Amino acid sequence: MAANPMKIRASNKDGVTEVKVLISHEMETGQRKDASGAIVPAWFITELTAKHNDRVVLGAEFGTAVSKNPYLAFRFKGGAKGDKVTVSWKDNKGETRTDEAAIA
Amino acid sequence: MSRFSKSILVLALFGASTATFAFDNYKGIGRPATPAEIKAWDIDVRPDFKGLPKGSGNVDRGQELFEEKCASCHGTFGESNEVFTPLIGGTTKDDIKTGRVKGLSSGELPQRTTFTKVATISTVFDYIQRAMPWTAPKSLKPDDVYAILAYMLNLAEIVPADFTLSDKNIAEVQKLMPNRYGMTTDHGMWPGAPAKKGGIGNGGIPDVKNVACMKNCKPEAKIGSTLPDYARNAHGNLAEQTRSVGPVRGVNTSGDAPAAQPAAGAASPAMELAQKSGCMACHGVNNKIVGPGFNEIQARYKDQPDAETRLVAKVKAGGQGVWGAIPMPPNSHLPDADLTTLVKWILSGAK
Repeated sequence: MAANPMKIRASNKDGVTEVKVLISHEMETGQRKDASGAIVPAWFITELTAKHNDRVVLGAEFGTAVSKNPYLAFRFKGGAKGDKVTVSWKDNKGETRTDEAAIA
Repeated sequence: MSRFSKSILVLALFGASTATFAFDNYKGIGRPATPAEIKAWDIDVRPDFKGLPKGSGNVDRGQELFEEKCASCHGTFGESNEVFTPLIGGTTKDDIKTGRVKGLSSGELPQRTTFTKVATISTVFDYIQRAMPWTAPKSLKPDDVYAILAYMLNLAEIVPADFTLSDKNIAEVQKLMPNRYGMTTDHGMWPGAPAKKGGIGNGGIPDVKNVACMKNCKPEAKIGSTLPDYARNAHGNLAEQTRSVGPVRGVNTSGDAPAAQPAAGAASPAMELAQKSGCMACHGVNNKIVGPGFNEIQARYKDQPDAETRLVAKVKAGGQGVWGAIPMPPNSHLPDADLTTLVKWILSGAK
């Protein structure tokens, strides 16, 4: 699953950049059992960071309460057309994924 | 409807020489439809792509259009569950290969989406062209529909980001639809002979069997027990939940069900204007649909003397945040006089 890229859209309006991210992740809580009764091991995003160029604009700690394939939207001041927005996450298995998009 | 339109078309083809043929039974009433009228009305797109207009559109253009016209209700990625069930999601690369969405039968899906269910791409095209955007249906040009569809296909990871969808390659895309083998036609609702005799239906055998009882009939069925009123809401208001069985949104169990809508026939001129202008797609008179009900608006603004001018400006420019996160689209295409009439009508109780 970690191979699936995030979908990121960033748009600037009146000096405020709105970023929308759709993350592709299983987000298993570790509380669910499969058909044979064995517990499905927990697998979820623990940390997420969003950067505007090299400046960190959002840092978040995720947990098991976050849904599968989470959707995230946030705004920050500054940012101009063509600037880079980078979002990266790390999950409890140590896997990471980083994707970027240009501000439109 | 499609069968009906076919017969009309056939009549139109013979219409030139036998113009009175179809109307022999109704002498002096009406006239045959002109070819232009039939063309404007006959917009359906069929699974064999009959009726598909020529045109093309790419993913980038589709993204612009989607942001502008669709995202306010469907979400930027077609993921939103707030107004309608999501458009995109729940399909895998494997589904695209097999043509059956596995999540539908395995129960893995938290919720069904348009692309987990729809078997034919033509249906999506037809629907967007016919019914979207909700406030201004049939306003999209064929190229726009192609572009929006290309963007949705890209979101569903069926086509790459540099894809251009056109009437030439839409048949190729059909072969990639995740649930393309998911439709069964072995039901009485489908017309024609059974599939093994070359038709698409089952020969008209009904799905249910309801034989009229003529003797020794059972007495009328009585409901033995019902959930008491105080327990109806035991699991919260079902209308506000997403359910995996039955209708996606359940019945309103909160106990304050809105009063029934007045019949559409007995409408005032302002009500007709509201219907014509697309207001009623999102606003009810007494209850919230997507946006607030007109009586809720009236209750909130009734003591504010400047409400009329403020609301006219707001309806015109669109807005978001006062009644929740779902935005109202701008309505600058309506004349100011109409806007004022509508706002006055709403503030006077929408009767």
